[in-house]
Amino acid sequence: MNVQIDTALKRARGYWFIDGFTEMAAGGLFVILAGILFISGYVPQAPFSDWFLSLTSEIVVAKLIGILAAILLLWWLKDHFTYPRTGFVRAKRVTATQVLAILRNVILFLFLPILALLAVSLLIASVSNVLASMPAWFPVGLGLIWGGVYLLAGEWMGLHRFRLLAVMMVMTGIAIGVWQLTIGLPTFSSDTQLGNFQPIGLETINRTLLSLGFLILISGVILMISGLVTFLRYRKENPTPYAEES
Amino acid sequence: MSGSLQDLSGLNRVIHEPARLMLVALLSSVESADFLFLLKESGLTKGNLSVHLSRLEEAGYLRMDKTFQGKVPHTEYSLTANGKTAFNEYRKKLDLLIRGHSRSTKL
Repeated sequence: MNVQIDTALKRARGYWFIDGFTEMAAGGLFVILAGILFISGYVPQAPFSDWFLSLTSEIVVAKLIGILAAILLLWWLKDHFTYPRTGFVRAKRVTATQVLAILRNVILFLFLPILALLAVSLLIASVSNVLASMPAWFPVGLGLIWGGVYLLAGEWMGLHRFRLLAVMMVMTGIAIGVWQLTIGLPTFSSDTQLGNFQPIGLETINRTLLSLGFLILISGVILMISGLVTFLRYRKENPTPYAEES
Repeated sequence: MSGSLQDLSGLNRVIHEPARLMLVALLSSVESADFLFLLKESGLTKGNLSVHLSRLEEAGYLRMDKTFQGKVPHTEYSLTANGKTAFNEYRKKLDLLIRGHSRSTKL
């Protein structure tokens, strides 16, 4: 028997994703969030603070309810579908030290390079130019972060499809960024200050939210398709619950 | 006997057996798992799996928790602290052994 220790370790770690339910649930949540952004994400001319507070509360409420509903649904689905077919696994408890270590690594490997790029671009260009180009660089940066997270998770759990998801998320971010550049970016006047949302500033925010909405929507659809394909394959391999041989 | 061969004889024989090594590796990355998961992932027969699990339990590397889900018995297996230590030591020794062997073949 060819024992590959690392493969066994990774298979056990990635067992939560074996049935595709988690990706489908996450994708569904993404699509709902994108819907909220498209419906409520258009900044009215005034008052900005009221609109911002309202949009933030809607997203927070949707996330909280969505995540809670997704967890309950996942527990039920796994309890009735996955565990009777391929068994039950209790995931390792994550300690506070491990959470801090994960956060540190995420910041070191993902956020710092992006922050550094942003800092460099601020030095090279003016603040107004960086803000004006936000609809283009924001989806690219976010796509890169999500891609990085999926790539790291895929390597840790030995899930090859996560590599593909990572590439697709990065590509989506870049495509949206290029699209925003193609249709032309809003321009700021040199005396524009932060917090002073003139129509041109509002256009930047609207366009950035539009970019974000498309990134979330497309990523959600990609996740749902990936989850569905995984689920269909899992169901084909495990059509019926395990039964004792008589 | 060469150094690396002596090292090989020092490997933990309970864990070194391929089927048990797979079971320990599977259990090392989770808190616990049930019989069905281990059966599906290892590809062993039920009888074989039971024998290997018992061997690991006898060695003090495995803990078995029997519960009931309604009227259905449910058994979960997890590695004990001794089991985790033994597996980590085994991996370190094996790693050293492989590194030593690749160094000696390069010379």
